[in-house]
Amino acid sequence: MGVILLSALTLALAVFALTQRRLLWGVIGVGAHSLALAGVYLFLAAPDVALTQAAVGFGLVTFIYLLALRRTGKLIVVAEEMPPLLYQDGQRVAGLEWEILSQFGRHVHQDVQVLWVPRKEIPRLLRAGEANVGAGGYLPRSEEAVLLTRPLLSTRMVTVRCTPGPLGAVEGDRGEDYLPPDGLTYEDHGELASALGAGEVGGAVADLLHVRQWVLSGEIQPVQTTEEQETSFRFAVAPGEEDISRALDAFLAQLEETGELARLVRRHVG
Amino acid sequence: MRVLAALSLLGLMALLALGVSGVFPRPPVPPTEDVAAEWGAENVVAAIVLGVRLWDTLFEILIYAMTMVGVKLGLRLLRWEHAVPPVRETPLLRRSADLLLGPIVVFALYIAVSGHLGPGGGFPAGAILGTALLLLALAKGVERLSAEIHEPSLEWVEYGAIVAILAVAGGLLVMGHRGSGYLIAVNVLIALEVGIGAWVVLHRFASSRGEV
Repeated sequence: MGVILLSALTLALAVFALTQRRLLWGVIGVGAHSLALAGVYLFLAAPDVALTQAAVGFGLVTFIYLLALRRTGKLIVVAEEMPPLLYQDGQRVAGLEWEILSQFGRHVHQDVQVLWVPRKEIPRLLRAGEANVGAGGYLPRSEEAVLLTRPLLSTRMVTVRCTPGPLGAVEGDRGEDYLPPDGLTYEDHGELASALGAGEVGGAVADLLHVRQWVLSGEIQPVQTTEEQETSFRFAVAPGEEDISRALDAFLAQLEETGELARLVRRHVG
Repeated sequence: MRVLAALSLLGLMALLALGVSGVFPRPPVPPTEDVAAEWGAENVVAAIVLGVRLWDTLFEILIYAMTMVGVKLGLRLLRWEHAVPPVRETPLLRRSADLLLGPIVVFALYIAVSGHLGPGGGFPAGAILGTALLLLALAKGVERLSAEIHEPSLEWVEYGAIVAILAVAGGLLVMGHRGSGYLIAVNVLIALEVGIGAWVVLHRFASSRGEV
């Protein structure tokens, strides 16, 4: 009787492990399955095998799976906060890029974790292997040796002037390329906007989406805008993670084909 | 491809049916009690695995050692290894490791030396020893533990254990001696080999796949 009950439990736990969408629960299911299997061996008068099964299946193998999960089970995204593409909304992350990344995470069975970092840190973290994807209104620069996905949303670099004075840009951002030698750099777009509002700098080089945000929120009143080169927001992928880059590219292409991307852009950006 | 798979499956099932139906003659099996008594063991499994079927067991041990070396070399070729940052010590884990380490190691030793009398033996004892090292690694950090237990020399101890098993088994085979002392010695050596091997594999995985 005990054997039959434990065998049924073993079977149920195996099905449980197979049907989990979250890998962590799958690993826990496999561990519990090993333990139940050890029980079956015990009832079948094979305590030697039960001991080995419990120590190896439940202890060591579960641990090795957990180690593998630490790297493969989580998609680490480093990003600069940038509404409406990617931003913290209370306890949760929101935005256009978040919707794409979280859908992609479900697609590849990985949890997505977003870490907020200054813009200039993104390529360094990706190259060091500390993160998988760079996001948050990522504008590619030629000297950053990272993989890039297909364009997500096209935009344009613009120079806005409010008062006479030096120009400002965000350190590491595409805007730094257009900065004259006397230009000032800031850690993120929020600091740049407040410097612009305080009159510390007379103008700024940034992408159209940021400038639009600043104008709409009344933070700056531009006197003159000069349009620079056209560019587009993309995701940056760590070099050496060609698999992620290819999968993300395919996922974006699929979103584009089904019109889902256009719908998301309309909803978040307008 | 599917047809091929179905055909091979059917063939295997037919073989199984033939085996069950008793078409093949079965070799006579000596009474297990006699085997156990001959080797001075109460656990028939130990007498069979380490005595009558020692040849099989030796190859199992060799496969285990080869897996360990394979993991070591394979992960080195993949170049995934990087220095693991030191782990913050958490008092809860540290205390529970302090409390549990002694009992776990003693239990592993008990299982190894009493393998010929009751359930147990070298393999489970080694696996339990591996979990003890794993617990220590969780509390202290992988690299620190690896340095503290002198991992490179431990690896040589493991290879030495394999050589010792081969030597002891070969020597006794020549001398024709059978007894429980031999079973205890081989079980302890196997426990040593499996435990160290488990640690080496865990360490390689940990340093290639992220911190513990």
